Amino acid sequence: MLSKQLNIIFIFLTLILILSSCSKQNKSKYLLTYWSSNNTYEIKFSKMIVEDWNKLHPDKLIKFQPVPEGQSSEEVILAAVVGETTPDIYSNMWQGDVETYAHAGVVLPLDKFPDFYKFMYARSDSSVLNEVKSQDGHVYQIPWKINPIMMIYNSKLLSGLGIKTPPKTYTEFYKDAAILQNKSRNAKGYVDRWFGYSEVLPTWWQRLFDYYPLYLAASGGKPLIKNDKAVFNNKYSLQVFNFLRTLYKNNYFSRERLSAQQDIFLSGVIASRFTGPWDIAHTKKFAPEGFRFNFSTIPVADSTNKVPYTYCDPKNIVIFNTCKAPKIAWEFLKFFLNEKNEKKFLEITDQLPRRKDLLANSLFEDYFNNNPLMMKFAQQAKRIRGIEQELYLKEVFDIISQEYEASVIYGVKSTKQALADAEKAVNLLYLK
Amino acid sequence: MIKKTLLYFVLLIGAVSFLYPFIWMISASLAPDKEIGSLVLLPSHITFDNYHQLIQKIPVWRALFNSLFVSGLVTLGVLIFGSMTGYALARLEFRGRNLLFYIIIFTMTIPFQITLIPQYIIMVKLHWTDTYLALVVPGLMNAFGIILFRQYFKSVPQDLIDAARLDGCGEFGIIFRVMWPNSVPALVTVGILTFMASWNDVLWPLIVIRDQSLMTMPQLVTLFVVGGRAESQLGVKLASAVLLALPIIIAYMFFQKYFINSASSSGLKG
Amino acid sequence: MIHFLIFMAFPVFFSIFLTFNKWDIISPMQFIGFKNFVRLFHDQFFFKSIFNTLLFLLINIPLQIVVALFFAELLNQKLKLMGFFRAAFFLPVIVSGVVVTIVWQQLYGFDSGLLNRILVSLGFDRIGWLVNPKIAMPSIAIMATWKNVGLYIILFLVGLQTVPKQLYEAADLEGANHWQKFSKITLPLINPTIFIVVILSTIGGFSLFIEPYIMTGGGPLNSTLSALLYIYKQGFFYGNMGYAATLGFFFAFIIVIVVILQKKYIEKEI
Repeated sequence: MLSKQLNIIFIFLTLILILSSCSKQNKSKYLLTYWSSNNTYEIKFSKMIVEDWNKLHPDKLIKFQPVPEGQSSEEVILAAVVGETTPDIYSNMWQGDVETYAHAGVVLPLDKFPDFYKFMYARSDSSVLNEVKSQDGHVYQIPWKINPIMMIYNSKLLSGLGIKTPPKTYTEFYKDAAILQNKSRNAKGYVDRWFGYSEVLPTWWQRLFDYYPLYLAASGGKPLIKNDKAVFNNKYSLQVFNFLRTLYKNNYFSRERLSAQQDIFLSGVIASRFTGPWDIAHTKKFAPEGFRFNFSTIPVADSTNKVPYTYCDPKNIVIFNTCKAPKIAWEFLKFFLNEKNEKKFLEITDQLPRRKDLLANSLFEDYFNNNPLMMKFAQQAKRIRGIEQELYLKEVFDIISQEYEASVIYGVKSTKQALADAEKAVNLLYLK
Repeated sequence: MIKKTLLYFVLLIGAVSFLYPFIWMISASLAPDKEIGSLVLLPSHITFDNYHQLIQKIPVWRALFNSLFVSGLVTLGVLIFGSMTGYALARLEFRGRNLLFYIIIFTMTIPFQITLIPQYIIMVKLHWTDTYLALVVPGLMNAFGIILFRQYFKSVPQDLIDAARLDGCGEFGIIFRVMWPNSVPALVTVGILTFMASWNDVLWPLIVIRDQSLMTMPQLVTLFVVGGRAESQLGVKLASAVLLALPIIIAYMFFQKYFINSASSSGLKG
Repeated sequence: MIHFLIFMAFPVFFSIFLTFNKWDIISPMQFIGFKNFVRLFHDQFFFKSIFNTLLFLLINIPLQIVVALFFAELLNQKLKLMGFFRAAFFLPVIVSGVVVTIVWQQLYGFDSGLLNRILVSLGFDRIGWLVNPKIAMPSIAIMATWKNVGLYIILFLVGLQTVPKQLYEAADLEGANHWQKFSKITLPLINPTIFIVVILSTIGGFSLFIEPYIMTGGGPLNSTLSALLYIYKQGFFYGNMGYAATLGFFFAFIIVIVVILQKKYIEKEI
């Protein structure tokens, strides 16, 4: 009698234990785990490469999965580091995060592999390698792919308004936005179309897609932080803040979180936005019939002949210190990054590998000839910046973002004051 | 008569305002993409396109299973352990019984905000993050269940217990063969409340689970909606919300009375 | 029992311990004494999030009580379709807050949301439900009221049924009108239920998380940054576990104070 009841409890407990262990056992078949970003096309690409590798190396199997869904992959990675559930290889590491993880000893220095520099110099310029070099002199990441931020615009809509070329300067931007606004009042007199939209959430990484590329364009690629000091409180930042503030003030940009609605660019609610080449495939896939679009450079204060700089949203590859077989991981990465696979990467994902020979290598020629839009990004890729290797970059962008929201979006603070406050707060951060 | 009509009219408006959003959600998720913005209830034709896309994008069935499994285990655990502790507190004499009871009352009054971070760190240190253990084990006991069972078990006549003892029943035997059949309402109440709370909880899974194959349904839907995988397709987001709401709405249709009764007794909590 | 100690009691003490440490969990813990406390008192977001939460409660609680009492009064008689009304009002209670938030985000849309369309068609100006920093938190409070009021309608119904019929009959003889009957008889007698409703919604209000997490991310201008959302951000955006624990500790402290104050005030009113 008694034993019967106890059995229930016993079975119950063992059930829990079995379940917990089986989720771990699955991994044992594989030597390494690899996470990619969770972009649909990138998942397709990474899966293919891992399958190829596994066919060639049945004794060194790699398990692939996209990075778990989260509000941002940065947040997910932080949690994985904390919970010690990191993969061995991760290919979607934001360049600005690496210094912090390197500092904490969570990622492996890659320059310790004897052929690291030889391999890297074949692929990238020394300026790129310098950009990703840690303050301690080691390199903890492979600068893998970039998505330069440019301005996508609805060319059908613009030409319908008589705008022949997209705005290149702030003044042109205001002028064109006003033209659109005048024709966009609904029956009740409300504006229901905007010239552009940028995410209004104060989440730190949103500023990587509005303030930061505009700042790089205005300043010709100047850094935000130098020698543990904020250097962004300058006339360029002020120009950018004033520009964006004017857009919000005149309702050329909407303060509402339009992104929660149906895709606003495709439905013609907005005429342009700052975005990367990942939008090409997305736009083509979901665009209504007759929709036409194109890309242009980020607007600047005064027009020059030179292509303005922009942010390239660099996502890099790291090996975490939980990796049991770093040498094999490195072998895999060299396979992953061979020319044939980089070509596949381009073709499948429409993102750019961070190579110096994008336009010079005959291997990629066909692709760019067939994809004139991607050619634009490849040309832009000569004038790009990633992000410096500094600690606390997340916090820096968070501070800027808070001030940005108060001054640019809601105008409750002057732009000058906002930038001064941001500078002060950032300097305090580095005092610690 | 006019008064009565007015009364029904007001109630009807109330009911519609409570039902409309759900009905809109369901019909919009079945509408072709272009019609979603229009807020009308009847799409020109019904399409399951959004659901097809959703299933391709995220492991919905797996998440539904996870939710069902976790909530089921947690509910079972709370019923078993809650009734055991409740029984001990109600019917067994042992040293420190009252002290224990007060400790339980005390933990019940402590806001969970205080234990959130420490509990998470315990999970990390036990290497339980990204396992079912993190979802199930901390939920296995709750003070509310214990207290409700204690109240209920106190009212079961001593004669029944004595008779069971004479028949050679052990303490566990008494709990499951005497107490349980005599306290069905308490079991139902605790069961439903625990299951609902566990099914709808999203903060805790967000914190301890990052592995997509272990995510619960509300968590997966939340991340799908705020994350990038939905590719700004509103219809797909709404479809995910429908799938999250549906199981509990169906359960509610069948057991409506129990749901409402359980909820009204949750007022005891205060 | 051991379970209880590990998952309830230990975290409480651990959290006190953590408040004295700077710990971003990827590097070793560092003892920093009272620095977390000092930081907290200089942290404008901490005060902002308390203010926001209190604002939420200030709107949510009275609104909930008025609406719930109104419908409970209407339902507290012999009605056809009683089951339907009860079921309709209760439906949002059982559905996950995630679903409710996803749907309401569409209703609250500035340009194309249902609510603003109704306003405009009635000739009013549009309201920036989630756009205007002054209105965003009240909007969330209204949504929360909509979601939870069904539960409180049921609780009040239970409460109303305990009021003896003779009292109303006596009042009728003295020629009392509706309002007098309500304020002199009903209100005092259901005071205990009101108290429970206040406490339950206070505790619920302090656990406000998923609504701003999905809808606004805490914005605009941090006007919907709730206490729990701020803890989550500190802990899981920035990895400041020590500071997040300190925040949790203080929020818990504030909850206890608020509840004690409410208790005192409401008891005086009886």
